[in-house]
Amino acid sequence: MRDAESDVADVMFALFGTPSKPEWPTRLLPNTELVNIESLRRAAGNVSSEKDGTHLGLFREHCVVCHGISGHGGGPASQFQVPYPRDFRAGVFKWKLTDRSEKPTREDLRNLLVKGIPGTGMPSFSLLASEDLDALVDYVIYLAVRGEVERRLLVLSVAEMGYGGDKLAPEGRFTYKSDEAPDQVIVDTVQRVVQQWVSSKDKENQGDHTSSYPEGLDSDEAVERGRKWFHGKTANCVGCHGADGDGGIETLDYDDWTKEYTTKLGISPEDQVALQPFRDLGAHKPRPILPRKLRGGTLRGGNDPTRLFHLINQGIAGTPMPGVEVVEEGDGRGLTEDQIWDLVSFLRAINSSD
Amino acid sequence: MVHRLSVLAVCMVWPLIWVGGLVTTYDAGMAVPDWPGTYGYNLFLYPLDTWVLGPFDLFIEHGHRLLGAFVGFVAILIVIASLRYEPRKWVRGLSFALLLMVICQGLLGGMRVVLSDRTLAMVHGCVGPAFFSLCVAVSVITSRIWWRELGDDTVVSDIRKRHLLLAVLIISLSYTQILLGAKVRHVLPDALPADFTLTVAQHISVGIFLWVLSIFAFVGFRRCGDLTLFRPVYALLLSVTLQMTLGIGTWVVNYGWPGILGADFIRSIPGADEYLIQAKGFWDSIIVTAHVAVGSLILAISTMLALRVSRTHYLSNHLSTSKSLTESENAAVSTSNAFS
Repeated sequence: MRDAESDVADVMFALFGTPSKPEWPTRLLPNTELVNIESLRRAAGNVSSEKDGTHLGLFREHCVVCHGISGHGGGPASQFQVPYPRDFRAGVFKWKLTDRSEKPTREDLRNLLVKGIPGTGMPSFSLLASEDLDALVDYVIYLAVRGEVERRLLVLSVAEMGYGGDKLAPEGRFTYKSDEAPDQVIVDTVQRVVQQWVSSKDKENQGDHTSSYPEGLDSDEAVERGRKWFHGKTANCVGCHGADGDGGIETLDYDDWTKEYTTKLGISPEDQVALQPFRDLGAHKPRPILPRKLRGGTLRGGNDPTRLFHLINQGIAGTPMPGVEVVEEGDGRGLTEDQIWDLVSFLRAINSSD
Repeated sequence: MVHRLSVLAVCMVWPLIWVGGLVTTYDAGMAVPDWPGTYGYNLFLYPLDTWVLGPFDLFIEHGHRLLGAFVGFVAILIVIASLRYEPRKWVRGLSFALLLMVICQGLLGGMRVVLSDRTLAMVHGCVGPAFFSLCVAVSVITSRIWWRELGDDTVVSDIRKRHLLLAVLIISLSYTQILLGAKVRHVLPDALPADFTLTVAQHISVGIFLWVLSIFAFVGFRRCGDLTLFRPVYALLLSVTLQMTLGIGTWVVNYGWPGILGADFIRSIPGADEYLIQAKGFWDSIIVTAHVAVGSLILAISTMLALRVSRTHYLSNHLSTSKSLTESENAAVSTSNAFS
């Protein structure tokens, strides 16, 4: 396993440099524009500023104390945050307008930086210059791509390439140097991860079916109907968020970032002994994810109707919050668009009450 | 003269700490990449309009350097004045220490820039309050109050060893808090979460302990009969209480309300559940910087208190066995009265 770590680290260095001195594998990604390398270099490294006031080292200035140098979510102040700061390396983001399994768009990430997340340690960076925000978005994408490629290569090394076995021929090992043609498996992995981000990027200005609100949104009738769907069997919001969104239900479930090193490996999140090797490598102590108290509480993703509709429809990626399928007619499999809008009205009503 | 100059230094160093704090809060420490000059100019010849009308980072970093240089000049004047007017050798030594310290502090600041080293920034941030404290010390030991009892036959204050111990404990904890606070503020990007959490826990614990001690001191000194001791204690209690509030504020504007306290607890604090941190907000920066500056102020007040208590304690013991003054003390009194 140590060989796999070492070889993958060499490959990662050749492909992506280091978080302090980032590189982008342009050679492997012809005709693909995802990030700006100059922005990456501006966002990386030590904090400094130029004579005209331009700040360099933006990630260390604004993000590193929670998200960590490589975006692993284990920065120095991470233990104080609930939930833990996002680990970008899984490539999973909660607050976005793309489908649950898709990457966020640049606009999603930018929106998150500008608006922040109320009630958490994630600030609003609305006072930063526009180009600073763009550089940070580029850098977050870079860290996410870099981290996901690294994790995929590590999995491949053990699962398919024979690392960890007794005999590993030199020609079977990962190798990539900047002046050589890389292994096809490396090329495929990088392109697959990057392509997911590119396909999200393509949807940026596509618009969606939730761009216009129905008549009667937030009306008393819509709120009452929404209350019914909230407590109904199909959406079953009440099962986690409690009657009228008052919370108080303990689900003893965990987010996907925690499940990666616990339940997905058959380890109980409460088994401290079995978890210790992961904790030694920097994994957070598992904390059950608590459904939000919606009545009178802050909606972390914002209470914009469009975003609420999307959250109800897609759920929240990385969490146990499921999506509700949009159906033509309410038949128990999902809710109609109108019914979801009613739910949006109900959520907005209980959120602004008290 | 030494006293007046040291008071001038005190009045200059606290604003210097404010500006230095702002430099760190705004991450402007590297706004001027060269040192000791500023973008190739001699420090004192950098064009005024480029400085004042330039980016805010450059404004505060260059301003910090200029103010620091002027404090250095005042330190030189203190040495000259002490050589001329101060009869006590140890005070003259202290004035040299003051000059040496401001030079070292300047070098530390310079090295922090040249090497772009955050650890040196932390050390620079810890030496600043110590220098401020030394300025206060020189000011206290050259003041009229330092000598006042020597003109009387009796020492009115009821100061005992426990008062002295309390004062020493307070000054020790005040500086410990500055060290811990600097470690939190200048946390390195690759620091382990467990280490950071431990430092924060220590910072909070020592802060609470210091607050309790300040209350003890307030009660203990209330009836000592000496306003020159009670007033610093009163100021200390107020400052530490203010500092606790600023500490909570500093954490909240940096990291939000700590979710680990529990969702129900957070919801019980008005506005906490929907609180949104604003990165680089003006008032947020002022709160953080005020926390730094008040920390130094607490150390300064503690220094004043400890020195005055030790002086009074010394006089209490000394005058109870001998009413007469030594020749050197008499000379010092007359010199001090003549020039302060």
